[in-house]
Amino acid sequence: MSRASHPQAMTPHRPGSTRTAPPQVPDTFWSQSRMRTYLLFDATGIPYMLVGLLVLRVAFALGRGPEAWAELLQEFSHPLYLAFHVLALVSVVFVGVRFFRLFPKAQPAKLGPVKPPPRPVLHAGLYVAWIGVTLALLVVLGGLWP
Amino acid sequence: MDPETGELRKRTFVVTRFDPDKDQVPKTQTYEVACRPDWKVLDALNHIKDEIDPTLSHRWSCRMAVCGSCGMNVNGEPKLTCKTRLADYGDVVEVEPLANFPIVRDLVVEMDGFMEKFKAVKPWMIVAKEKAAEEGPNRQSPEELSVFKQFSMCINCMLCYAACPVVAKEPHFLGPAAIALGHRYNMDSRDEGAAERNEVFRGEGTVFHCSYANECSEVCPKNVDPASAVNQAKLNAVVDWATSFVVKRNG
Amino acid sequence: MRTLLLRLEPVIWLLFGAGILVGTILLPAYLLTVTLGAPLGLLPEGALSYERAYALATNPIGRVLLLALIALPLWKGAHHVRALLADWLGHGPDPVLGSLLYAIAAAGSLAGIYAVLTL
Repeated sequence: MSRASHPQAMTPHRPGSTRTAPPQVPDTFWSQSRMRTYLLFDATGIPYMLVGLLVLRVAFALGRGPEAWAELLQEFSHPLYLAFHVLALVSVVFVGVRFFRLFPKAQPAKLGPVKPPPRPVLHAGLYVAWIGVTLALLVVLGGLWP
Repeated sequence: MDPETGELRKRTFVVTRFDPDKDQVPKTQTYEVACRPDWKVLDALNHIKDEIDPTLSHRWSCRMAVCGSCGMNVNGEPKLTCKTRLADYGDVVEVEPLANFPIVRDLVVEMDGFMEKFKAVKPWMIVAKEKAAEEGPNRQSPEELSVFKQFSMCINCMLCYAACPVVAKEPHFLGPAAIALGHRYNMDSRDEGAAERNEVFRGEGTVFHCSYANECSEVCPKNVDPASAVNQAKLNAVVDWATSFVVKRNG
Repeated sequence: MRTLLLRLEPVIWLLFGAGILVGTILLPAYLLTVTLGAPLGLLPEGALSYERAYALATNPIGRVLLLALIALPLWKGAHHVRALLADWLGHGPDPVLGSLLYAIAAAGSLAGIYAVLTL
């Protein structure tokens, strides 16, 4: 079974002499599993935007002084905030796993004189950077160093 | 088991029918077919046309996945019907014309829109000055060839257009196969038309409409990986756009 | 608006690309400490006390990272939400919705620059 696609999808500017039926997409077009994963990937944009705005609040709180900072951390311990930030963390990991897989093949084999490393190496390199940066920042933000 | 004499399996084919002279909208018709174990979807369609209903229209030619004519949506997914084994399907097989294309008749779709997009990316060698014959051939090393060879393997079967969520929503979008072909020429060491094509890539049908669903590459029967080409083309188009401010171009 | 958006597409895509690459690499550590570790009291004593947090954020590298954590997820998010809305509602309302989302990202980035510079 099908439903309508965009009525002008793949329609030539100069129509032929035969009348055509408008384009369709299968009923399952948007609900099949790969497409759902892709839509979910795009949907992570929502937590990303909210996180960006919340980091802005963190920056302003730091600027306003110790009370504002303590208040913000207090606010962040509210279950709704905690739940959102867990969701955000899950989103970030999901984005990383999918995007780092798709990233290497989006690099041109040659960009001027520059050549990217082989795709598996690039893929592995992204994970090394991801885990390395996360560990390094955890050490700093976790108070272990300096 | 011998595939020729193996047991026949009865399957129901739900096929889209559309006659532009009679129908306002496409409808479906079901056919019961006793299928041989080694049959592809195309074999069943040919059987229907030859033995059951000669009015059924569908395109096909080579039967070996090189001509790109027999693309259809099988159970909702774009497939080359000549290499889609019925053994992988159940008792009901739904065959529809390729998604996202106007329907000419039954399973035959209108290709002209696709051809317009192909032409738009200037898929031919562009050189400032044609080389004289005495100067010899344009040489290319295997390494230079490897940069684009994959993207030149496209058989224009249009499955990627039927799979693309952006094509389904944005009629201006150049789409996977056309961009892959344009990118193939941009990456060719003998070609000098990258600047022209990058203008097209940043124009109305821009490569940036692509949101990297990667569906085109999932359905591509020739492993062209159009999603790779489209997203490489994005970076090239950005670099070209940035350098256009620094380097003055003639013409 | 459609034409303007079309002209800006390369810049938007670069910011989006930076967001999804750098943002995704930086975010787990931030989320684990500032938004989960500290509120739950899981971090060592004083790790994110005001004095220490302030010192880290006003370090030159700290300022850059803080701005990156504000601006990049905003651009990544705006671009993806735009794609999601285009898939859902079609490309008709896309120029308006896209512009609105990028306006939020741009305003957030400017506010971020202000916040980081005045810290």
